[in-house]
Amino acid sequence: MAAQPEIEKKGFVQTVLDVADDTFTRITAGISPAEFRRMLRGEPPGRPNPRLKPHSDTFLLHIKPTYYHESVTRFTHTFRLGLLSTYLFFFETITGLILMIWYAPSPDRAYTDMIQLLSNVPFGQFMRDMHRLGAELMVVMVTAHMVRCYLTGSYKAPRQFTWFTGVLLLVMTLFLSFSGYLLPWDQLAFWAVTIGTSMADAVPPQVVGATVNLLARGAPEIGANGLLRFYLLHVLFLPLLLFLFFFVHYYKVVHYGISLPANEEEVGQDTANKVPADKRVYFLPDVMLDESMFLIGFTALLVVLSIFFFQAPLESIANPGSTPLHTVAPWYFYWLQGLLKIADKMIAGVILPGVLLVLLMLIPYLDPNPSRRGKDRRVAIVSGIVAGIVMIIWSWMGTPYYAVQGSAQIEIIQELMPEEGAGLVREIGYKHLPVGDFTTRSKELDASDPNPDLNGVTLLYEEDVAALNDPKFSELYEELKKSTENFDAEKQDFNNAYAVLAITQEQSHLRRVNWRIFWVDHEGNPQKYERAFFIHEDSLYWEQYGWRANIPDIFQKAMHCYFSRPDGQSTEQCFASRDS
Amino acid sequence: MYKPWYSFLYIKSPIAKVLVGTLSLLITLAALGFQSLIEESRMAAQTANWDGRSIEKGAEIWNNNCKTCHGPEGKGGIGVAPPLNSKHFFEKRLTEIGFAGNLRNYVRLTVAGGRPVKSRPEWAQNMPTWGVRFGGPLRDDQVDYVTNFVLNWQDQAIQQTDAEDPWTTVVGTMDAAAAAAAAAPAGPQPPQALFVSMGCGGCHVVDPNSTQVMTGPNLGKLPEVAATRKPGVSATDYVHESIVNPSAFTVEGFPAGVMPPNFAERMSAEEIDSLVAWLLDPNRTMP
Repeated sequence: MAAQPEIEKKGFVQTVLDVADDTFTRITAGISPAEFRRMLRGEPPGRPNPRLKPHSDTFLLHIKPTYYHESVTRFTHTFRLGLLSTYLFFFETITGLILMIWYAPSPDRAYTDMIQLLSNVPFGQFMRDMHRLGAELMVVMVTAHMVRCYLTGSYKAPRQFTWFTGVLLLVMTLFLSFSGYLLPWDQLAFWAVTIGTSMADAVPPQVVGATVNLLARGAPEIGANGLLRFYLLHVLFLPLLLFLFFFVHYYKVVHYGISLPANEEEVGQDTANKVPADKRVYFLPDVMLDESMFLIGFTALLVVLSIFFFQAPLESIANPGSTPLHTVAPWYFYWLQGLLKIADKMIAGVILPGVLLVLLMLIPYLDPNPSRRGKDRRVAIVSGIVAGIVMIIWSWMGTPYYAVQGSAQIEIIQELMPEEGAGLVREIGYKHLPVGDFTTRSKELDASDPNPDLNGVTLLYEEDVAALNDPKFSELYEELKKSTENFDAEKQDFNNAYAVLAITQEQSHLRRVNWRIFWVDHEGNPQKYERAFFIHEDSLYWEQYGWRANIPDIFQKAMHCYFSRPDGQSTEQCFASRDS
Repeated sequence: MYKPWYSFLYIKSPIAKVLVGTLSLLITLAALGFQSLIEESRMAAQTANWDGRSIEKGAEIWNNNCKTCHGPEGKGGIGVAPPLNSKHFFEKRLTEIGFAGNLRNYVRLTVAGGRPVKSRPEWAQNMPTWGVRFGGPLRDDQVDYVTNFVLNWQDQAIQQTDAEDPWTTVVGTMDAAAAAAAAAPAGPQPPQALFVSMGCGGCHVVDPNSTQVMTGPNLGKLPEVAATRKPGVSATDYVHESIVNPSAFTVEGFPAGVMPPNFAERMSAEEIDSLVAWLLDPNRTMP
């Protein structure tokens, strides 16, 4: 109706420009193009400040403060760890949702689904690596965020409750990560979660512990029910709970403002509402620019890491009947596993972690020190650092290096060719494992003291290995020799030890790696141990080393199949063939 | 404002910030572009990887369970179990028995379900059921691993000539031997040859130092233990009885009723005596 008189009055071009201006202002919820240009030029806002309008008009911005104190916008004050934690939560939600498309939470399917995801879904491995990397980093970021707040004394009045909800969020993050651990249904997952839930069993009194354990596992042993429960916890219950507590936490953050550096703010001050006009940094455009560019940079880092450096592990299918040697909890629970090695299950697994958690939550209410300055908080800071060091020591004790070393002959093989995971043998792979019987003894010793077990075997010695001229196999040979000698020197009942590594061709593309270790025990009796593994030419064992090392090969193959494959071969045939 | 020593690292200019963001975006896109270029190749490599790993697992199961009867190289044992590393098996077996599915189905079915009846009366025992669904120890995925392992012999097996094909010697000789035995009894065979042709090696090792666990006891220690196995029975009588009437005595720790009961029909009395003497000779030479 009104178009014609307007055009008559202002002319056609001006009318179009005005409509464009108006549309822009509507889309930006109140920022006119002129104001936008001023933002770009770095000019101060007009008065009344039109840059506040999007905060009052839009949902997503109404929860962000309109301005910050200049001191808290410096990167090194907060390292933007809270922002990163929040971002990672949404990042995990999105990547997780994509993964859910190819996943069914049932022991019959879960593991096969993982292999299908890795080998038949374009970008499937990438998505899984991103999700896993994001989960690990989320634990790191949330913990680092807490450490930062502790060291700057940010938990003090009026922000006690913010800290309290933060600790709850930390616990939820850990459980979220842990519940996702089981879903691939491989040995790593199954045993880590079995160890984890068995701690619930120690909750006193016995009937409560057993019930909690039963509720978590869905049966006396983890099975179809347990997987479904962990799945629902992981994709629904814990994210919802975390989402809810995130908003409680963030509301408190905004309400009291981000704490200023200690020398600029006394305890009890409420800075958010009293920032002097000359110290204000407005969210639009400065903080928003910082935050969005920071997150874009962080995403680039995640993508590059996932593609070139990080691989989510996947071991053999879960087997309740066989515990792999050196089973470990997820790394963020190593400390708990370490504690369990030195103390009773009830004390180390339930009471101590419970007390620690309650203490952590109550820190703001227990700390009577009114100052936030580092020099007044020596006790708090030193005890924080000591607690950190103790955690690291406990974590180290949780690794297989502490107190669970098996006998020498088992450890020698486990180190080079573990039951699960890669190890040096699988890392160098089929191509670098020549057929033959290689002994770590010297030729002279073998001649003077022959082993009846090796009658009729043509043994190959160090000089034969050197003659093969394969540096990778030579490395393996040296490692085997060194580790046998080390254990020989270390252990009382493991003397005159040597190993014979027999590699035979079992089938086409399949070699058998047979380990035989001979030694003399402390009573002088000769002993031997034998263990065989198999390795296939196509096995990459990419989850630890192989895949990264194989990127050049895979790239080469792609180039070959797209651009220089033989005539008459389709791309699919080329990819399925072994030549490159 | 307080300036830390590292404040020179702060990016202040909005233009620089936008540039850093744009650069990050370009890096992301480039990395994703690279990934999409190799994605097809990666999926092929992953498919081969998981197939390869399942064959590795199958090989372990094979070595622990199947090798003792079907032979370490899958070449079977006369009177014990048919060869699988065989051209006949890969090319003609399905037609021979009229199985409707493919070879993978056939192997998987046989491993999982075993054989309720022997396909030939000469076999020492029925193929046991291995799948957990049929009362065996292996889960479905493990049955698939063994199947992948067995089918991985195909490359080797189809290159065999008819003379090399173990099917001819293992299964073929059973008909030939039966025919020969019916027609004209051949002269007595030496014990070493009997040990092989009767399929003893499928279940027994003859090496006093071997720790290998097989279906039957290690015969390497026989010269020492034979006299003490059954009180009041001499070593020669004990071994003789164990060959002609295996169910009379079963060594502790080994399954009863596994050893074929028909050796007395398949060998002459003279052959059995020579075999007993050979087994009890501590200085015997191996075939």
